[in-house]
Amino acid sequence: MQQTLTFVRGLGRHREASVLAMLAIVAIYLSLASDYFLEPRNLLNVGRQASVVAIVALGQALVIIARGIDLSVGSVIGLSAVVAAVLMRDTGSETIGLVAGLLTGLACGLVNGVLYTRFRINPFIATLGTLSIARGIALLMTGGIPVPFGGFAEFVGAGRIFDIPVSFLLMIALAVVVHVFASRTVVGREIYAIGDNPKASRLAGVNLRAIRLFVFALCGLLAGLGGLILAGNLASADPNLGMGYELDVIAAVILGGTALSGGRGSILGVVIGALLMALLNNAFVLLGISAYWQVVTKGLVIIFAVGLDGLQRGGDDD
Amino acid sequence: MTQSNVETGAAALASAPPSPPLVRARGIAKSFSGNAVLRSVDLDLHAGEVVGLLGENGAGKSTLMHILSGGLRADDGTIEMDGAPVRFASVGEGIDAGVSFVHQELSVVGALSVAENLHLGRMAKTRAGLVDFGLMQHASRALLARVGAGHIDPRREAGSLRAGEQQLVEIAKAAGRKPRLLILDEPTSSLTPHEVGGFFSYVREARAAGAAIIFITHRLEEAMALCDRVVVLRNGAVVSERRPAETTRGQLIADMTGKPSIYAYRPRTVDDGAIALSLRGVCDGRLLQGIDLEVRKGEVFGLFGLVGAGRTELLDVIHGVHRATAGTIALFGEPVALRDPSEAVRAGIALVPEGRKTAGILPQHPVRDNAAISSLRRFARGPFSDRGGDHGRTEAYRQSLGIRMASDRQAISTLSGGNQQKVIFARALMAEPRILLLDEPTHGVDVGAKADLYDIVTREADKGLTVVIASSEVPEILAVCDRVAVLSKGRLAGILERADMTEDRILTMAFKEH
Repeated sequence: MQQTLTFVRGLGRHREASVLAMLAIVAIYLSLASDYFLEPRNLLNVGRQASVVAIVALGQALVIIARGIDLSVGSVIGLSAVVAAVLMRDTGSETIGLVAGLLTGLACGLVNGVLYTRFRINPFIATLGTLSIARGIALLMTGGIPVPFGGFAEFVGAGRIFDIPVSFLLMIALAVVVHVFASRTVVGREIYAIGDNPKASRLAGVNLRAIRLFVFALCGLLAGLGGLILAGNLASADPNLGMGYELDVIAAVILGGTALSGGRGSILGVVIGALLMALLNNAFVLLGISAYWQVVTKGLVIIFAVGLDGLQRGGDDD
Repeated sequence: MTQSNVETGAAALASAPPSPPLVRARGIAKSFSGNAVLRSVDLDLHAGEVVGLLGENGAGKSTLMHILSGGLRADDGTIEMDGAPVRFASVGEGIDAGVSFVHQELSVVGALSVAENLHLGRMAKTRAGLVDFGLMQHASRALLARVGAGHIDPRREAGSLRAGEQQLVEIAKAAGRKPRLLILDEPTSSLTPHEVGGFFSYVREARAAGAAIIFITHRLEEAMALCDRVVVLRNGAVVSERRPAETTRGQLIADMTGKPSIYAYRPRTVDDGAIALSLRGVCDGRLLQGIDLEVRKGEVFGLFGLVGAGRTELLDVIHGVHRATAGTIALFGEPVALRDPSEAVRAGIALVPEGRKTAGILPQHPVRDNAAISSLRRFARGPFSDRGGDHGRTEAYRQSLGIRMASDRQAISTLSGGNQQKVIFARALMAEPRILLLDEPTHGVDVGAKADLYDIVTREADKGLTVVIASSEVPEILAVCDRVAVLSKGRLAGILERADMTEDRILTMAFKEH
């Protein structure tokens, strides 16, 4: 038992490497268990599935690094897609629809941020509230019926460039941008600082409210983008789109080595975490296991990932 | 350090009580993550004796007391009570054996009444199994009267008491356990002179009843007045044991610091130049009322006050942590209304906050990032931060402040307290402030680092930096300040010029509103 614990702690210390190792283990197992797994079609499909989770997880990671959490991303995905599809249908302008979809995401993020920074509502509760509100608005706008969605978003969501899904390429590009942002810019470094010790950062001259508002706004914007890609992929904006996505996104962030306690985490890890989540989903399909088990497994993965984090910090809370 | 190094007055040996000691600690050693905090400490405590325990912050006093009371386990050494070895696994076991520890930090439960606080964990019950409030209040009145706090109504909510009264409640709580060994960690730091008198009579009464009492204090006069014997700890070892009648203040300070010169004033002159900071009628709506003061450019200006006097609150208002609800603040003649510390830093006011762990360091960040966080925006190129430059600047401050570290990439939490504090100083100085605010800047740092920090303050002020230093330690104020403003319960009790600054005058002013 002691040895196992030591081993698990060791894993925790090199989280990116350990998630990469888990990714490899699942991949090797699947390549032996299923003939179809290594087919390019399947692998590219996994990449596509990972891309939306990863894009939303980029924003979520910054929120969690800043010691917050955003539970509303799944609903923001749905609402942004619905707003974009409805406006596109009613105005006939694709541009208006897409811009409105992104602005919807941004607005949701700003609301979360303002609830947190101005009204001092714990982000867990504030975003739990917006989770419900955003989903409700999406249902009200559509009467619960999916709205057809197409055009450029469909290209991003379902199209390919040289056989590689556009959404996957977009995810890689965004990951590079967010990585540079997080590690090289003043705001990025201040995000890590406020997550590590908010009080000390504030007294040192970091504008706590502005940075917190910014990360929530960015997270909302990326969730909005995720919604457009997801709806584009399905060529339809379902008001229930993205339901439960917050679980995948948070699991990807935590699996990737971001500390729930804030101040620590890498963008590379988040991308690997998202890939692992997509691979696990793929495994259930390929092995023909009931989708209900998939739901159970997601919960287990989250607990496992957070458990790793707790063991790594080795009882700091006691 | 071995016992042969300990200076012991001949008289102390000759008049040692003949009875075996109540508590005999031998070779107590304790390390925290490789740092030796206690190195083989020997201590005897006799029934009916008050022992003063003196030492600088970080000397190991609190650690030693936690070990005696069962809150910490020693790495090495033995403790005997009444000649039999004891090993307390918890504070509870210590209490059962008759060891009561009144901590420096107040720990009353604010939402409960004073009587409930006094009986926590041992509340009397009526026959119906309900709490017997009548009995508890009766017992509480008697306990409070014993420690000189008979004026406190046991039915009052403990959180509504001021700090000194809460301290007396804690002492009454310990008294209620009829301790054989009573440990008092800076019990008088927030008491008024009148309350100190009542407290002293309780200690003398407990001594007469046969208790052994350890009295930790920074106020040498109190130690000299109350104690039968004074033990000085330095760097985790006992360096002297003396009788108050046979020693002097100067001797005790020399024992505590190992450097008699640490608190010597560093003489300097301040030009009668510009007014760097002026406050007119500043209130914060909580504690501060009508604060007026002016600080000259290049001056080291002290802010002294007892616990709850408003030192930190005043710095908070100047630094934009809280807004002044009334009054005006001007920097170099320009009125400012700072809404956030980020605005203060931009306006040239940097703060080294009180509480290094909670409000100072970014524990998971490397030294370099800790030093650079206040000046990221100052040295940014567009949106990008100047990471290479941060390295160079951290290196420059490592040399000028004497920060001991292997690399600026190591986590700040791996440095010693004194070195961490120097990094926080580097952070503030790197922001190139016009005014530097220091809040208890030497709390929990060792003597060497303390002397360094005083030298740094004086040096920066000589270069023209205006420094405001809030401190609860009079020797610190006397060591570095050109003038001192004394606060008492949120009001300005007065401002003393260098020539008028003495420990007596400062303390008398601090009690003005009490």
